[in-house]
Amino acid sequence: MSAKSNPTAVVADDERLMRDQLVAALKDAWPELQIVGEASNGREAIAMVRSLEPDIVFLDIRMPEVDGIQAAQTLAGAAHVVFVTAHDQFAIDAFRQGAIDYLLKPAEPARVALTCQRLRDRLQHKPEPMEDLLSQLASRLGSGSIKPREYMRWVQASVGANLRVIPTSDILFFRAEDKYVRVQTGKLEALIRKPIKELIDELDPEEFWQIHRAVVVRVDAIEQVSRNFRGNHVVHLKGSTEKLEVSRTFNHLFKQM
Amino acid sequence: MNPNPGPPVDAAREARASAPPRSGIRQTLHELADTGAVIGWRFFDWLAVVSWKKLLLVSLLMLILAGILKHPLPVLMLILGSFIIKVAAGGKRRADLTASEATKRAETEQLERTVAEARMEALQAQIEPHFLFNTLASIDQLIQTDPQRASDMQKSLIRYLRSAMPQMRDGGRPTLGQQVSLSSAFLEIMAVRMEERLHPAVNVPEGLKSAVFPSMMLQTLVENAIKHGLEPKAEGGRLEISAEIVDGQLAVHVHDDGKGFMPQSAGGVGLANIRERLKAMYKDRAELVISVPERGGTCATIKVPYEVVRDTTA
Repeated sequence: MSAKSNPTAVVADDERLMRDQLVAALKDAWPELQIVGEASNGREAIAMVRSLEPDIVFLDIRMPEVDGIQAAQTLAGAAHVVFVTAHDQFAIDAFRQGAIDYLLKPAEPARVALTCQRLRDRLQHKPEPMEDLLSQLASRLGSGSIKPREYMRWVQASVGANLRVIPTSDILFFRAEDKYVRVQTGKLEALIRKPIKELIDELDPEEFWQIHRAVVVRVDAIEQVSRNFRGNHVVHLKGSTEKLEVSRTFNHLFKQM
Repeated sequence: MNPNPGPPVDAAREARASAPPRSGIRQTLHELADTGAVIGWRFFDWLAVVSWKKLLLVSLLMLILAGILKHPLPVLMLILGSFIIKVAAGGKRRADLTASEATKRAETEQLERTVAEARMEALQAQIEPHFLFNTLASIDQLIQTDPQRASDMQKSLIRYLRSAMPQMRDGGRPTLGQQVSLSSAFLEIMAVRMEERLHPAVNVPEGLKSAVFPSMMLQTLVENAIKHGLEPKAEGGRLEISAEIVDGQLAVHVHDDGKGFMPQSAGGVGLANIRERLKAMYKDRAELVISVPERGGTCATIKVPYEVVRDTTA
């Protein structure tokens, strides 16, 4: 496909030993193949493929910053892709069915030879972007941009001068106070700057309910709900003596079942 | 269902027949005395725990009954006796009963807790196949290029596996020393693989290594720090294990200057597991705290009561 006399390749793996191993195995199996670049993460790999325009790119699946599958999606047909992995059962299953080639670490000479043979044939054609297959892989491996919506599981909040990471399952409620929002757990009080309005979008609606303009409560922390003299619901919490009034807008949450 | 007479009954009858001959009356008396004693103690227990209100009510009913039968005196004596017993011994007997009940409940709870803890510990101790395969592949490469380092790495792997596999752990309570040694072996392996992207440091005072520390918790923190903190960062960074005594508690820190904690990160399973186990083992006397150091990264701290394992090998 190119005017170059010898085929070229870029090898990407975050561990140098693994790159060395693959390069050595490729040299034995396919002496004419020229390794023009070695990348240690997905971002470097993308940059190298774009600047060096190799025929083939070997991509480790697990790499920092941008992983192998994301890199392949970004490169979309710029080079023939071979994935490399030590152990990713989902990926291997997918590769077996699909058109994408893969190598297992440590690379066995016979397996590398087979891949090289296939690559020689594939070099006759233009590389395919394989969008569908890659996005399917990405979703199965939890990589790439199409992730299911994820809610906040931890809150970074200040306790005195320290910044703490508090799991949402420890939190009893959030309450807006002046310019901060107070995070209350059974043991401590912490402060965050994120307003309730933004918070409610990031929290799991199954886990947290807004019961007032200024208050969000964790559903599992509710011990009981009573009514006050104005006829509004009042939420009592497990592990706290504080009582939270439900405003009229949110009263429907507690109507009798 | 069974046409034959029940065999246990037969056996009992035979046993009685073969017993040394004894006068029937004496045996009956014996049995009566036994039954009487049992009834007596039952009555005593009932007396001890029954409320005064109920006792008065029952006494009144008995008095009425005795009045109808025209023999009030013995009943009156019995009632008076009951009152005296209740006042004199009731408190102690009731305390005994509550105590034995509480012990029974505590034993069941303890058993349940031990079982739950064993299950969670096994979960925590799972060795990631990805780690194992990558390490073996690295050793394979080093055998070709640097046999001495290959051998060192393999030894670290053996040391790690020996203490990380639950079935290979020796009994007895795990110490901080063992846990640090396990994580050091892991860090040695990762340092060979990640090269300049991982700078491990272990600063645990020798004197604290005999302290009791639950198994695999430190390792979970170390793996988290690498997986979520350092591996996603291209230039990697530092990882430090340290330990100190704070207000009589043993505090073990794992500090990395990596990517920092992601609010949506799913790495919470390992941490949630640690929290559960700490609660099961120490109730409120232990905790896992995650904080963000001033210069970024993550610092995870486990605090447990400070306790020294007595040397059983001596």
